[in-house]
Amino acid sequence: MAVKDKLKTDLFPTIWCPGCGIGLIMQQLASVMEDLGLDKTNTVLVTGIGCTGRMGAYMNFESVYTLHGRTLPVAEAIKTVRPELNVIVVSGDGDTSSIGGNHLLHSIRRNPNVTVICNNNEIYGLTGGQTGPTTPKGTTTLSSPAGSTASPINLQGLVNTNPESYYAKTTVYHQGPMRKAIKEAIEWPGFAFVDVASQCIENNGRRIGFGSAFEMLESYKADYKPAPKGATRLEGKQIGIIKNAAVPVAVPVPVPAGSNQVDGDGK
Amino acid sequence: MTKRLVQGNEAVMLGAVKAGAGYFCGYPISPSSEILAQASQYAAKHPEFRFLQAEDEIASANAILGASLAGAKSFTATSGPGFSLMQEAVGYAHKIGIPAVIVNVQRVGPGTGMPTMPGQGDLLQTRYGSSGDYTSFVFYPSTVAECYRYSIEAFNAAEDSRSPVILLSDAYLGHLNEVVDLDEIEVPVVPRTIAPLATGGTRLFSGVATYPDGEPATADSDEFIRQYIENRDDRRKVAEKYAFHEYGWNKEADTLVIAFGITRRIAQPLAPYFALFRPIRIWPTLDKELGEIAPKYKKIIVIEGSDGQYANVIERMLLRHVERVPLLGGRMSLEAVREGLELIGELPKELAAAGATAKVG
Repeated sequence: MAVKDKLKTDLFPTIWCPGCGIGLIMQQLASVMEDLGLDKTNTVLVTGIGCTGRMGAYMNFESVYTLHGRTLPVAEAIKTVRPELNVIVVSGDGDTSSIGGNHLLHSIRRNPNVTVICNNNEIYGLTGGQTGPTTPKGTTTLSSPAGSTASPINLQGLVNTNPESYYAKTTVYHQGPMRKAIKEAIEWPGFAFVDVASQCIENNGRRIGFGSAFEMLESYKADYKPAPKGATRLEGKQIGIIKNAAVPVAVPVPVPAGSNQVDGDGK
Repeated sequence: MTKRLVQGNEAVMLGAVKAGAGYFCGYPISPSSEILAQASQYAAKHPEFRFLQAEDEIASANAILGASLAGAKSFTATSGPGFSLMQEAVGYAHKIGIPAVIVNVQRVGPGTGMPTMPGQGDLLQTRYGSSGDYTSFVFYPSTVAECYRYSIEAFNAAEDSRSPVILLSDAYLGHLNEVVDLDEIEVPVVPRTIAPLATGGTRLFSGVATYPDGEPATADSDEFIRQYIENRDDRRKVAEKYAFHEYGWNKEADTLVIAFGITRRIAQPLAPYFALFRPIRIWPTLDKELGEIAPKYKKIIVIEGSDGQYANVIERMLLRHVERVPLLGGRMSLEAVREGLELIGELPKELAAAGATAKVG
């Protein structure tokens, strides 16, 4: 098997705009899958609505293209019924942390052994460029002509409320760190979240002053720096990995029986 | 097993187990919460049965779809407000063709309404709650024994139709205890009809209009219509197997009463004076079955726990006037039925007599 066998190349070109960052994530994911021996018999993709959600259609895996925001309930249920499968969620920042925010909060808490790869372009790209939950305060968007007024959501902080979680911040410019993060996240025995800064030139970049996708990549190179060794928290525009205690994931234990009302094996 | 007291909600849970359910996900809501609790207790003793108490009903509805795709017969239980939150997932499951069962133990709405009082106001929500056109299968039992039977049949219909089937109940029926021997109820179980995830294919389960190869068909009207008609015709065919209804009481009477769910039980004292038609399959409507008997009757009265939701449906189906006895505000009682019949001048003299109360059967 080769990396390209992970992709449905006959469906290329993709629907993504020229210069979009999603393809860079898909490429690294496919490559990591090849390294780890992930294939259509042991792995399922779960994607959400948004540009990123289309990734499932381009990969040679079974994939569930969920409703907007509902990747995590679907992914957790699949993992619960079929613990032997690798369940990988790929979705955008809006899908994951705005409309799907409540599920994110509780998935973090329940700590299922699923991997989330979040294409974080700080915008609602597919719908034309509206303010998202990750949009930096003051950013001009289609729905915030005078600048967005709210602070972006703190994904690192949210994920780290789980003492057994894995959180990585990287960018599509930093291919090596991104590759390492995706690989480790898939191998992590619990909830793992890879937060990938990624450019949306057409529906965000141009509006905030970038002339091309390349300029946006250059800005990632200039702005994002590796976190110091041993950091327990990523500050500002740092890339790095925060691993909390990696303990084996306990099999979810249902509420203990409080009465014998359902006894009799349901015959 | 022998005869014992079984609660309506418990019978639904036991029926699900009998049907081979392997996954439950739900969120506490009156008056359905016993199903959630009992599913958790069952899971504690049977590790192969998976249980999750989710963060909300949106998660519950989507989780059971993921579980179903993964290979488990799955279900959730809720009531009106929670069912409203599930509607987007219902449409998604119809679009893709995912078998699952949603139990709706109805209370009085709208809004938070009357959480512990019985209502039947979700009938249209079970049919038209999600956006777009789709064919719903909805069953509504009347007894605890039937809660068990039609719980199994709901799973069967879900597999045959590859759709989310709604099992209706209500606060009254769900909390009703009756002496039954569930072992005596034999219902053949339909096995799974979709191949579980990751068994060799590369399928794309998409809520978006797509071609068979997974490419978007979001602007291809012909393709959309082709898929829709195929799906609709398939489900109409499946419906023939599930034409559950009851036709009885005094068939020689002039007037036909239509009542379903717990309302049919409440209306039992009307037996000597009226014929009865009880749809157990609420949707798709029983046009053929009701169409054959309706012409024999001069009048038709629909007694229901809403302000004419099903009466309007019957009126349109038969293209004739239908009288209404709405039981509102959770007041689902023989007294309310008598008052309603009196209001439309249809109360039998014998029932009008002071103190005339027959046993509710």
